[in-house]
Amino acid sequence: MNSQAQTAEAAHEPSRTLAYVVVAGLLAVLTAMEVWVSYIHALGVVLVPLLVVLSGAKFALVVLFYMHLHYDSWAFSVIFVPALMLAMTVVVILLFLMIRFFEGF
Amino acid sequence: MSAGFAVDRKRKPRAGGLSEYCGCEYSAMNARGGRRQAGNKGPSLALICLVKRLRQRAAASFKSPIFAILPLTAILLCACDPSSFPASTFTPRSDLAHWVLAVYFEVIGWDSIILILICTLVFLCLTRYSTRASEDQPKPPPPHPESLGLEIAWTMGPALILLFIAVPSLRIVFRSQSPAPAPNALIINVTAHQWWWQFDYPSMGIHTANEAHIPAGRQVRFLLRSADVIHSFWVPAMGGKRDVIPGHVNELTFTPSAPGNYIGECAEFCGLSHANMRFRIIVQTPVAFDDWRANQSGGPHQPALAAAKAGERIYMTSACTTCHAIAGYSSGYIGPNLTHFGSRHTFAGSTLINSPQNVAAWIENPQALKPGAQMPALGLRGRELSELVAYLESLK
Amino acid sequence: MVALPKQIEVEESYLHGGGILGWLTTIDHKRIAVLYGVTTLFFFLVGGVEALLMRTQLARPDNTVLSAYLYNEMFTMHGTTMIFLVVMPAGLGFFSNFVVPLQIGARDVAFPRLNALSYWIFLFGAIVLNIGWFHNLSPDAGWFGYANLTERYYSPGANLDFWSLGLLISGVSSVLSGLNLLTTVINMRAPGMTFMRMPLFVWSVMVMFVLILVAFPPLTVGLIFLVLDRFFDTHFYRVVAGATPLLWQHLFWLFGHPEVYIMVLPAFGIMSEIVPTFSRKPLYGYPAMAYSTALIGFLSYGVWAHHMFAVGMGPVADSAFALTSMLIAIPTGIKIFSWIATMWGGDLKMKTAFLYALAFIVQFTAGGLSGIMHAQPPIDLQQTDSYFVVAHFHYVLFGGSAFALLGGLYYWWPKVTGRLLDERLGKLNFWTMVIGFNLTFFPMHILGAEGMPRRIYHYAPDMGWNLMNLLATIGAFTMAFSALILLINMLKSIRGGELSGPDPWDGRNLEWKVPSPPPEYNFREIPLVRARDQFWHDKYGYEGGATPAAPAPAHPLEEGGAIHMPAPSIYPILIAAGLTMGVVGMMLWIRVAVCGAFLTAFCAIAMGFEYANAGAEDEKQIGAATGLDTRKVGVWAFIGSESLFFASLIATYLIYKGKDLGGPTAETILEVGLTTTTTFILLMSSLTMVLAQDSFRRGDRSWGLRWLIATIILGSLFLGGQAYEFDSFFRKGLTLQTNLFGQTFYTMVGFHGAHVTVGVIILLALAAASWTGWFERRHRDIAVECAALYWHFVDIVWIVIFSIVYLMRSVAKA
Repeated sequence: MNSQAQTAEAAHEPSRTLAYVVVAGLLAVLTAMEVWVSYIHALGVVLVPLLVVLSGAKFALVVLFYMHLHYDSWAFSVIFVPALMLAMTVVVILLFLMIRFFEGF
Repeated sequence: MSAGFAVDRKRKPRAGGLSEYCGCEYSAMNARGGRRQAGNKGPSLALICLVKRLRQRAAASFKSPIFAILPLTAILLCACDPSSFPASTFTPRSDLAHWVLAVYFEVIGWDSIILILICTLVFLCLTRYSTRASEDQPKPPPPHPESLGLEIAWTMGPALILLFIAVPSLRIVFRSQSPAPAPNALIINVTAHQWWWQFDYPSMGIHTANEAHIPAGRQVRFLLRSADVIHSFWVPAMGGKRDVIPGHVNELTFTPSAPGNYIGECAEFCGLSHANMRFRIIVQTPVAFDDWRANQSGGPHQPALAAAKAGERIYMTSACTTCHAIAGYSSGYIGPNLTHFGSRHTFAGSTLINSPQNVAAWIENPQALKPGAQMPALGLRGRELSELVAYLESLK
Repeated sequence: MVALPKQIEVEESYLHGGGILGWLTTIDHKRIAVLYGVTTLFFFLVGGVEALLMRTQLARPDNTVLSAYLYNEMFTMHGTTMIFLVVMPAGLGFFSNFVVPLQIGARDVAFPRLNALSYWIFLFGAIVLNIGWFHNLSPDAGWFGYANLTERYYSPGANLDFWSLGLLISGVSSVLSGLNLLTTVINMRAPGMTFMRMPLFVWSVMVMFVLILVAFPPLTVGLIFLVLDRFFDTHFYRVVAGATPLLWQHLFWLFGHPEVYIMVLPAFGIMSEIVPTFSRKPLYGYPAMAYSTALIGFLSYGVWAHHMFAVGMGPVADSAFALTSMLIAIPTGIKIFSWIATMWGGDLKMKTAFLYALAFIVQFTAGGLSGIMHAQPPIDLQQTDSYFVVAHFHYVLFGGSAFALLGGLYYWWPKVTGRLLDERLGKLNFWTMVIGFNLTFFPMHILGAEGMPRRIYHYAPDMGWNLMNLLATIGAFTMAFSALILLINMLKSIRGGELSGPDPWDGRNLEWKVPSPPPEYNFREIPLVRARDQFWHDKYGYEGGATPAAPAPAHPLEEGGAIHMPAPSIYPILIAAGLTMGVVGMMLWIRVAVCGAFLTAFCAIAMGFEYANAGAEDEKQIGAATGLDTRKVGVWAFIGSESLFFASLIATYLIYKGKDLGGPTAETILEVGLTTTTTFILLMSSLTMVLAQDSFRRGDRSWGLRWLIATIILGSLFLGGQAYEFDSFFRKGLTLQTNLFGQTFYTMVGFHGAHVTVGVIILLALAAASWTGWFERRHRDIAVECAALYWHFVDIVWIVIFSIVYLMRSVAKA
């Protein structure tokens, strides 16, 4: 009974195929850009932030569209986003502490 | 313990002695360090001095004298008598230790207040609201008013207290960790081994082990290295410990304030004989330190007695030379440098008094006295052994 | 076995029937909780005996009861046992498992089979940890096993192999358990049980579950490095290769400090049940209590380096961690004051459970206050690694956690067994415990102040430590006596204690509504929750007299009183056995490891199908309070935990980047062209995956299958590319042991590859199952969705790795 209702619901929803393909195209373009900028030595210190932005965009695209956080209940975002933030913070703080340690302060 | 020799574990080292409190000199060691033996003026005088000193310190450490009478403070202050507690953290003998203790007392004060408050509240709840006989009779549930003001108070109150604590504490953090070293600071390279301490004075060419002599009133920078695993360099009277980490040079800097013989310990678990890895910081007057330095920076003393001369030959032909150094004789570096072995009060990670009896027992079977020690039993016995001991003891 | 109370005639107790096999195959959360309870009690006694032996050794100076080696084993195993095998599983496996479903109005946890699996893995991990005793090869490097003492060079025996592998195994169990119970709390709540109506016990353990999920991955990573160092000669903590043992300290304490709260939070929760019940008042300041619990959990993750002040991290880091550590005192203070305010003006009933709660308040406060001391870096330099710290954490973990757990035992024992514990014996137990505890641990403060370092197997007679050590030993034996009384009390109660009835304490929450012991299905009808303390209101009415409106379920409840409970399963115990064989076999006999791996894989797939097709369970998979699918909640929580796992690997890679002492590095060896291609392939596999999912959802099975197979092919291509890359690196002389780049690169990229491999296997199983039509459609769709989420997660991890490893290959650290 329940699954039938879901099927009917699904049939009425607009197809997301187009969105998925567009996202895939964007992912490909962003990857190409990333690889391209990684070869430009003139970028110097800008390279890392630039790569972070580009790969961050790819990350967000996959999470929002392929993993459906854009469409799904906000509850899933509440589970995932804090964990992600925590993970990033841990990397940054560990890096900070250990770089200072290696430098001998 | 080991067969043959009974081990003399009855030591009488006292960090600083009662001299700090009593104004009298109290020898830390059995007069070996050139210090006079003086009589103890009796417990009553010590007690009076102690109380007086405590009162002074209490007044100096925190503004309100009420803190001094709080029970936790009192109990912890029991640890302040250095003659009974040679490794006490409450007998500051350096600038660093004084800073630490000031923060320590402030926090103990606040902690005591809070603990007493909580205990009082719990006690009041018990006396006022506990039901006894009427337990089984059905009663309507008691009222349960709530007050936002109260909740804000018990959030902000602790926050304020923490602020009071944090400010002086963090000031000490910065003061003690990023010091511009004094120009005349004495640098001592410390290398921690499983399970003994190597002390090298690069500016004086002194190499010794387990006992570091330093002059009072002069800043000392201990540069800490490890030869194997992580250790921790801790002299309670000097105010704190610093981990010794392989592949890294750590630093502990302080200026000792009073001559004395202070116990140091390895504080980070470092394997089988972690408990047997101690050392001494011997703070001397500048004059006494110069005497010590003059003696240590020279080569080994030539043995005078026949037995010691025989021991010298035994040393030179034995496996000792593989691991130990005696300037001009051998250059092993695995074990402690023995050039002035006889001048040390203690040996074997500062756990044994340097007496002929103990040294002989050690050479006979090191593992019995310090499990896991790398030094092998060499199989020396009887006369050979006593001659070798005589030689080592002659290396003043 | 428990003699069953007679009053249960209508509803059969969960303890009834099944025999030994019933207990081995049970997936009932209450039976699993009892298994956990018995196991933790056993290890409590083991850890206690270890403590007694240590105290005997230290009773007199220069004592020789234990050798240095035995003593080191004792304190290592005492700490490891009490933390990993007693306090944590008691809070997580016993109390949370038993109480949470009852309190939130659920019939079981979200994934009952996983729950059983957690228990058996825990049990086997515990056995691995302790198996060394039979050859006197127990772990001997302290419970936080600081590298590099734990390296093969300094600890050549098998002691630390048992330790590292045992902890790895039991860590898996904890994460699975936390995942399961977190999903339960999020999604299995009864209609109307909003977060702000949840009992505070559930709040506290919910925060604990979150902490388990984010705290264990760093430990797992640290242990994996240690195992690699010990078995495969890598250099993660070895100075000779340019690495540093400090990395272990960071990874360990990243886990270790949250672990402290993992042990304390259930205690907070139990307190928040006992205090209101025995005061006959609702918990004071419920919202503040709930938020402070969450805040404690959050802050506890940002204070780990306060265990490392003596390391010398520099004044800035010291100050930052000192401040965050002090901040925790504020929410903790709110809790203490709120409990006191709850008692204030109540009708206090002096039952044993409440006495334990009172002792908790005082002792935990004392422990917390000494914690404020060593949150100050200057004071910490004097206190850390001395007996003061030993006193501190025993005040927190014994005087705090364990006391609350004992209180909780007295409190919920009637619910577990249907019988009361004797109050007179209980009070004797309590008073001897309080006296023994304080006699043991208060003198340790003084010992620490007198300069006694921890972990020393003997001490000299002239240090002034003799009296205090003797007192501590006397206290320890007093506690042993007390534990004996507790055991007698429990045995007496089981043998024929007074029947308790469903609600012996005039309780407030839903668990007291059901019979004692509860039936297997807990609730005949799922309760509707209208207010906090629902059961109290059921008994005493609502304030103001008006009954609030009944909540509307987000998903229709089962109809007609038909109660479906999942059938017992043999697979959990087999999987756990296989896993243990695999891990231990790697250490000893490789054939055993292979058998274990096959057993695990076969049983895991079998259990997966058993689970996926258990039609009777289906209706429970949509949360009645949330309308979310439980399986998706679980997968997302798992992804959150995995994020921390990969974050720890990535952090290690970055920390060691550029520290190599030779050999090929990222800059010289990586071929970006090849990897760009494989990256593109993996990205496109995400597209095919999402298209497969979309097709299945629209009912188009044939296209769904095609896209699914395309995904499998692309994934395999990616793996092939990776294998080719690894092979070419090997030829160029880069192995796991070559340098820091080699070990961090292979570990991180290898673990990602392993995830892709698992993903491919899952997709293959799904493809086969949908090809044969073996799945019912609704199960198939949700299974594909969960697999897709995992697949995309692996994809985003690769996006990050590709950027950091390959594209930033020539970036040097500032």
